[in-house]
Amino acid sequence: MKGLFIKDFQLMKSQKNFFFLILAIAVGMAMYMENIGLISSYLGFIGTMFSLSSINYDEFDNGNPFLFSLPISRREYVLEKYGFGLILGGSFWLMGTVISMAVQTFRQARPPVDILPACLAILPFLPLFLSIMLPLQLKFEGEKGRIARAGVIGVIFLICILSGKLFQTLNLNPFPILQHFRGETLLAALVILCAAMLLLSCRISISIMERKEF
Amino acid sequence: MLHMEHVRKNYGTFSLNCSLDVAPGCITGLIGQNGAGKSTAFKAILGLISTEGGSIRIFGKDLSEVSPKDKQLLGVVLSDSGFSGYLTIDDLLPVLSNLYENFDQAFFLSQAQRFALPFKKKIKDFSTGMKAKLKVLAAISHHAKFLILDEPTAGLDVIARDELLELLREFMEQGEDRSILISSHISSDLETLCDDLYMIHEGQIILHEDTDVILSSYALLKVNSQQYETLDKQHLLRVKKEGFGYRCLTKQKQYYLENYPSLAIEQGTIDEIIVMMIRGAAL
Repeated sequence: MKGLFIKDFQLMKSQKNFFFLILAIAVGMAMYMENIGLISSYLGFIGTMFSLSSINYDEFDNGNPFLFSLPISRREYVLEKYGFGLILGGSFWLMGTVISMAVQTFRQARPPVDILPACLAILPFLPLFLSIMLPLQLKFEGEKGRIARAGVIGVIFLICILSGKLFQTLNLNPFPILQHFRGETLLAALVILCAAMLLLSCRISISIMERKEF
Repeated sequence: MLHMEHVRKNYGTFSLNCSLDVAPGCITGLIGQNGAGKSTAFKAILGLISTEGGSIRIFGKDLSEVSPKDKQLLGVVLSDSGFSGYLTIDDLLPVLSNLYENFDQAFFLSQAQRFALPFKKKIKDFSTGMKAKLKVLAAISHHAKFLILDEPTAGLDVIARDELLELLREFMEQGEDRSILISSHISSDLETLCDDLYMIHEGQIILHEDTDVILSSYALLKVNSQQYETLDKQHLLRVKKEGFGYRCLTKQKQYYLENYPSLAIEQGTIDEIIVMMIRGAAL
């Protein structure tokens, strides 16, 4: 699996211009945005997406048949993609958090640690994002994959909007209910949910890869 | 080393039904036209496609039991697939040394220099010859026991082909238990390299013979209609009607040389034998 990680990091090198562009945008956003905690979520999601793009790089020029003739199993390949996504997502999130805190320090408006809760709140959503996107990327290649990902993001937004409308119509507010729980309990529930989603997603991805023909 | 028995795979109207053996210490060639089923057979051996019947055994193990550790002993070249074009040879070195326990970096580097392969250029910008040399080099640089090479010489000029074949001969000289399964549609490559040859046509193996036997016992008889009438046909494999009469393929060259000294009997190249096996009529 180490060889696969090295391959993906080497492939990432060929995207270094894109990486610097993303970094420049993040710094630019931090300079002018009021809610600078968003920088860590922006960079975190971009980092996670490098794992998805690495699958495109593997598929480039019909590379998969050769890749899967190397001494790796399909299971290892899937686990490496999740690992790669989590490492990059986490690293980019950390980078975004450091940038946010540096800008906060520079602005001298509030203590830098004040933005940490906002940055930490986004962290569990990175594995959730990976859990949804990776099986889609593995299942649908090329253009179909892009359409499927856009479709799923659209459906998620639609569910959120419709849920909001439904709560509004029924005159329900879920937030007071959540306030009954302690912060630690909610965090633990979120971590368990993420881990469960990640495990389920991993199983689905392995099953997709094991059925694939090259 | 490899045993394939009635391995079946269907793609629309194409149907593969292939039985094939590669013995330790042997170079076995698989020869056939484009679309004959060579690549499908290779993909089945490597587990890249599912099969609909039959069995495949590599190193004595059923294909479903072949682990990544067993694959350490395989060296693979595929005609239409290779390393990501966005990598350079410099990038590949740590990848290969971490994928293969016995990756011989010194050998790889010396051979890459011998073939003047650029280390910092992206593989997608390599010439066809460079890409082919890199694929073969990567396949032989980790002390593999069994090479599976699908069209490794495709698109190469004569000199580059000769260099690659020389590399494969050197690979075989380094161990008696090493084997190669190689496919090509350039028969002259296989004629000089292989111990035995399989001919595949429309997914079926139509001929399996030792290369020595093909070169020494197979022959083409060119006969007119009168000669054909009186000819002993029991040793003819295929017959094809021509303008001058008939072209006949036999595996008993000596028999016809001795009994029909006046006939035009030609050695017959492997290409001609393939054409006769495909286009000729069986008696």
